[in-house]
Amino acid sequence: MKRRPRRAPRSPLDPRYRTPGTPRTPDLSRRRALRLFGSGGAALAGGPLLSACGVGVGGLGEGHANGASEVTGAFDWRKAEGAEISFLQTPHPYQAAFQPLLEEFTELTGITVNTDQVAEADYYTRLNTELASGSGNYDVFMTGAYFLWTYGPPGWMEDLGPWIGNDSATSDEYDFDDVFEGLRTSTAWDFEVGSPLGTGGQWAIPWGFETNVICYNKAEFDRRGVRPAETFDELFELAVDLTDRSEGTYGLAFRGSRSWATIHPGFMTQFTREGCADYSTDGGTLSATMNSDAAVGFTRKWIDLAREAGPTSWTTYDYPDCTADLGSGAALMVFDADSATYPQNIPGNSASAGDLAWHPGPAGPDGNLDTSLWAWCLAMNSASRNKLAAWLFIQWATGKEAQAEAVRTGEMGFANPTRESVFEEAFKPTLDAFPGYQETFERVIDSTRIHFTPQTQFFETTENWAVALQDIYAGQDAEERLDELAEQTTELVNRD
Amino acid sequence: MTRTDTPQRPPAGEGSVRRISARRRAFRPYLLSIPAVLLIAGILYPFGLGVYYTFLNYSAMVPEPVLVGLANYAVVLSDPVFWESVRVTLTYAVTTTVVETVLGAGIALLLFRASLVGRLLERLLILPLMIAPVIAGVIWGLMYNPQFGVLNHMFGLGSTFDWLSEDRALWSVVLVDVWIFTPFVAVLVLAGIRSLPREPFEASAVDGAGALYMFRRLMLPMMWPYILVAVIFRFMDSLKIFDHVYVLTAGGPGGATRTLQIGAYQNSMTNLNFSLGSTYMFLLWIIVFITARYLVGVLGKAQRRAAGTED
Repeated sequence: MKRRPRRAPRSPLDPRYRTPGTPRTPDLSRRRALRLFGSGGAALAGGPLLSACGVGVGGLGEGHANGASEVTGAFDWRKAEGAEISFLQTPHPYQAAFQPLLEEFTELTGITVNTDQVAEADYYTRLNTELASGSGNYDVFMTGAYFLWTYGPPGWMEDLGPWIGNDSATSDEYDFDDVFEGLRTSTAWDFEVGSPLGTGGQWAIPWGFETNVICYNKAEFDRRGVRPAETFDELFELAVDLTDRSEGTYGLAFRGSRSWATIHPGFMTQFTREGCADYSTDGGTLSATMNSDAAVGFTRKWIDLAREAGPTSWTTYDYPDCTADLGSGAALMVFDADSATYPQNIPGNSASAGDLAWHPGPAGPDGNLDTSLWAWCLAMNSASRNKLAAWLFIQWATGKEAQAEAVRTGEMGFANPTRESVFEEAFKPTLDAFPGYQETFERVIDSTRIHFTPQTQFFETTENWAVALQDIYAGQDAEERLDELAEQTTELVNRD
Repeated sequence: MTRTDTPQRPPAGEGSVRRISARRRAFRPYLLSIPAVLLIAGILYPFGLGVYYTFLNYSAMVPEPVLVGLANYAVVLSDPVFWESVRVTLTYAVTTTVVETVLGAGIALLLFRASLVGRLLERLLILPLMIAPVIAGVIWGLMYNPQFGVLNHMFGLGSTFDWLSEDRALWSVVLVDVWIFTPFVAVLVLAGIRSLPREPFEASAVDGAGALYMFRRLMLPMMWPYILVAVIFRFMDSLKIFDHVYVLTAGGPGGATRTLQIGAYQNSMTNLNFSLGSTYMFLLWIIVFITARYLVGVLGKAQRRAAGTED
């Protein structure tokens, strides 16, 4: 078929229009240019995003030898005098308490500490990128205990066990055993599936930590003549009784956002107390058990608690939302970290300051007070080029003297110190205005540890768990959804 | 008599100067294109690297990755969660683009006639565009809060209405997008309307055409190219949405607002599975590429129609 010759464009609005007398541009018509723009635009749109998913190949396959054995001779704080180290941190009461003390460290050791702060929302993205790149830009970094299960296997972290054991690198006064046992074991693992925590390398030193217990508005409880609940059923009833949606108040705040962090505080604490476990271990294989009969029953009740006595927008709630509601008086109880609720009782920090008190929360059917912990730790980048200086800094910051001073001078407090001696001598005297805090701590500390089974897919599987809770909250059947979750999780954790 | 012209020789030295300047002229295009080449290389290198990752098993747990062929594509494409993300992303992109286009074009038509109020509104209109989407997410998160948020208070919804519940979350994040980007469409279309030639309208008025007829048969066809440019920008941007959605819901509740970008982020940055994250992003890139090409084709057609060169 013969093609009809194209009519010469006569309108200036036609993309093919050419002003008379101007030379014809042979190839790049506007239409073609627009097509290129479309393709290029899409490439522009996708390119940086795509590359953002990878983190560069700098860290691939690089191994870093442990540096502890290179340190010999008598211990001396000034052994790395003149060195400079970089410390990646996120804003936190622990960090705020230590920031003014860094000059003292420099005076003691002659080591300069350069700090970078990244907001917690972006902190792990930054840290993951830094560590995966293998650049060694940061010698020391803050990290949570669960992150060791991910950062350890690729060799991104220095095993601090050999450093603690080397008398040339570690002061006689350091006394690592003074750190609460649950914290020491929670930061050590051999990365073998099925191995318990406390085995293998010491990948980080606990710096500050929190237990997950109930904080309640004591003034309001006293006015109503009620007491904190001792069992989970009692907690349910109490929380429902305290809820008055017409007044904008509700019984119990706890996390429900789409994040792994929803699982570890209140949920995991009570899940464990009720006799449930996340996995069963058979040799080197894990089987997810969050769909056991006990787990399904508990989960169903937990979600009902969220519906009937939790925050209306529960699926977006993180700890700042929970503690803010407690502070404003909207929530009458919070089941979350004691260190997160502690600042709400400091005068001037919230409307409920001075009215709050603490309680261990419901005991399990057998009376157990198993409690989940979160610890902020200091760890060393295995790619650090200043390992001795980095270790001296970690040793100083997690030592008795500096931690006691941080407890005494920290503007937002230092709840909780990781050393028994510091808790006894420096922290206890600050607790007079915090009713029940010390008693609660003392009742739960012996059973406070990480109650998750350690495994390298922790964040993915635990976030999936939070998604399942949200789906059940939205109306899906608990048993079916947890069965689906357990099947998916078992496959993930045993993936090569 | 025959006159023989002998070619005039250039003075000594002039030829070499001309040769140098000719060489310089020949070299100039390459020199001028260096920034563009560097820019393209800066885009293509990470893009190529990202695509390469999709064929590896690169994650934090596998620091020495190996080629796995199309295994990542098989994993992603057989995962119902991915297809749910595709559905959420397309629903989000289509809804925001349609609503923003209709509202933006409507606002542009209202502001077309110059007046003091119009000029004032034009300036106020661009305020949401000046706010970073992350900040907008934080602001709207506070407004959506059932306990103390202004929206529940304003509409008398009490403390039990949850804007971000599973069945409402997607529409609530769409609303934030509409709030931020409708002004962008309005400003773009308004600039287009103001650049339209007056003659066709004057001629139609002389011929006795009514306002509705002129709008339908003259203004709308001539506005189409500008509206389509806005559609292209908004649709491509909406397909890649991340910031305020992540701030408001992190992709939840469940998978209600988990767009492809959020899926890629969670795979790469939370789960540290860089290859799966890259696969998500590459598949998103393909979707953006195909839709962009299609929309650019539609735009060209609309331009030719507006020019009266195609029926």
